[in-house]
Amino acid sequence: MIEKYAEFVGEESLDSLFRIAQKLHGISVLHVNSTKEGGGVAEILNKMVPLMRELGLNVEWKVIRGDGEFFRVTKSFHNSLQGQSTWLPQGAFETYDKWQTINASELNTDYDVVFVHDPQPAGLINFKRRGRWIWRCHIDISSPYPPTWEFLKRRIEKYDAAIISVPIFGREDLSVPQFVVPPSIDPLSIKNRKIHSVTAERVLRKFGLDTDRPIITQISRFDYAKDPVGVIRTYKMLKRHVDVQLAYVGSPASDDPEGEEVYRKTVAEAGDDSDIHLLMLPPNSDLEINAFQSGSDVVMQKSVREGFGLTVSEALWKGKAVIGGNTGGIPLQVVNNVTGYLVNTPEEAAHYALYLLRWRQVAERLGANGREHVRQNFLLPRHIRDYLMVMTYVLGVR
Amino acid sequence: MLELLDSRGKGVELELYGAYYPPIYTGVKALDVEGLLRGLERVDGLSVFYHVFHPIFSSHIIPDDVHNDFAFWIRDELGDSTLAHLVSDVPGEEPRTVEDVRRDLIKILSGASEELRQRKAKRPFSFLTCVPVVYPIDVKLSTLGQLLDQVAMMPARALVYHFVFRRVMGYSKTNDFSQWLTENFGLDEVSIKLSKIDPQTYTDEERMREDVLNVLRGELLK
Repeated sequence: MIEKYAEFVGEESLDSLFRIAQKLHGISVLHVNSTKEGGGVAEILNKMVPLMRELGLNVEWKVIRGDGEFFRVTKSFHNSLQGQSTWLPQGAFETYDKWQTINASELNTDYDVVFVHDPQPAGLINFKRRGRWIWRCHIDISSPYPPTWEFLKRRIEKYDAAIISVPIFGREDLSVPQFVVPPSIDPLSIKNRKIHSVTAERVLRKFGLDTDRPIITQISRFDYAKDPVGVIRTYKMLKRHVDVQLAYVGSPASDDPEGEEVYRKTVAEAGDDSDIHLLMLPPNSDLEINAFQSGSDVVMQKSVREGFGLTVSEALWKGKAVIGGNTGGIPLQVVNNVTGYLVNTPEEAAHYALYLLRWRQVAERLGANGREHVRQNFLLPRHIRDYLMVMTYVLGVR
Repeated sequence: MLELLDSRGKGVELELYGAYYPPIYTGVKALDVEGLLRGLERVDGLSVFYHVFHPIFSSHIIPDDVHNDFAFWIRDELGDSTLAHLVSDVPGEEPRTVEDVRRDLIKILSGASEELRQRKAKRPFSFLTCVPVVYPIDVKLSTLGQLLDQVAMMPARALVYHFVFRRVMGYSKTNDFSQWLTENFGLDEVSIKLSKIDPQTYTDEERMREDVLNVLRGELLK
């Protein structure tokens, strides 16, 4: 299977992957996160785990469990760590610790290397018996709510290394080594494979969009951090100049109880405009996501907070210029005026969306740059190689 | 020189390796020129390597018209093209190491105008260092002909490791190819010509490969 990636990244890149993997042959690796589906982490692990096995590592993936209260707590952690809120439920820390204890008693973590993804299972470190433990942080922890961060930091300090997605997320108050590893997309997945324009048209029409008129799309959860209300405001400004349609395509995630509330607010902002399509697709609607990205004239990711924003790479990979929020990992992907435009407000987003709709050749040039940029930096084999290198470091393998 | 192409010289082989340089956050951020200066004084040599020489890889995200991370940040975040160009063009040719480059950068930044020193960036500069991961590529060079062939086709990761990394980090006085040409074949002239190529001024490994290859071709295929 892994050889199939040569088409995208080249033989040399794959060869180096095998050579670095040789240093780790036969070691046991566990990935732990909080959801099997929904969101970027599960998506990456679904692809990465089998490929790591192919490289000669004994890799497992386990998911912690929790009740509604636990996931409300971890969602509040998520929001407060990303600096979006200072609200924590009553007894949040106790609830968190209770579920770490429950999960530690149920999960075997007896592996040479354990990757713990995000804050939800980070407390498992208190029950570590052996191996090297790596905390993989997928979110922006650069300006967190101090009480939440202090609580989490006491646990992170016990890890052998941490991984952040973007240099700017690095913490000066952490003593563990912080590797910088951006996430990635899988070019072979249904979501990122090249599809025929007829397929894209079929899907868009199925969801009520008119493919004879311009379409702008944002693919993201209904989450305050993704600024869905700002996206609608952008659309309304743009609509004064161009007869455009908006598709905001989200999907529920089992560890995000807030999605419903944000969705309702977004619906209220949209009003009764029939050219605004707010869609809540089921998990694994990969072909549909691909179709929306491939069939859109402009793709937006107007986040106000963002861990990385993989949907940006997905759109760039399809040759689409992206208008992205100037936050988190988006500037790593959207290089201003090279692969798209970085914006801070709905006004700026509307301005550049209009520009890209008027100047199709500019959109094509930026899109072509974007695809190459993703090829070089944000495809799955690079991501796997980075993880292997972090493992060589924590294991002291030369 | 053509008659030497199959010669093994003194019989010393050059074994080739490739390397990646996974970045690690140093805990040092800068928001202005002062911060950049303080950071440059604090970080290790691998950090200077990462920000100044690692951008030779086209996968390292900087625009083509500036040569290193410091220059990119000064131009795009501090908004000063003049200082950015000075920093971008700091010399990195032999026998200079990351420590020479560090000294030059500190000198250039220390000369920034008072007005610029007061200026705050929109986004901080995060100093990264790296932990090189080196791996064999199962190639050993014995002859000049093999050197020529391999420079043309070896992985870019190997080319940069042998031509740039080991020398700028002070593991060898000159790049590995020049050293081998001198020690095993006594070819000082070719060696010196190779040494004049300044890797700090490339943002694409393949362009550097072309220039290294042109020197070797011009000298060895006479």
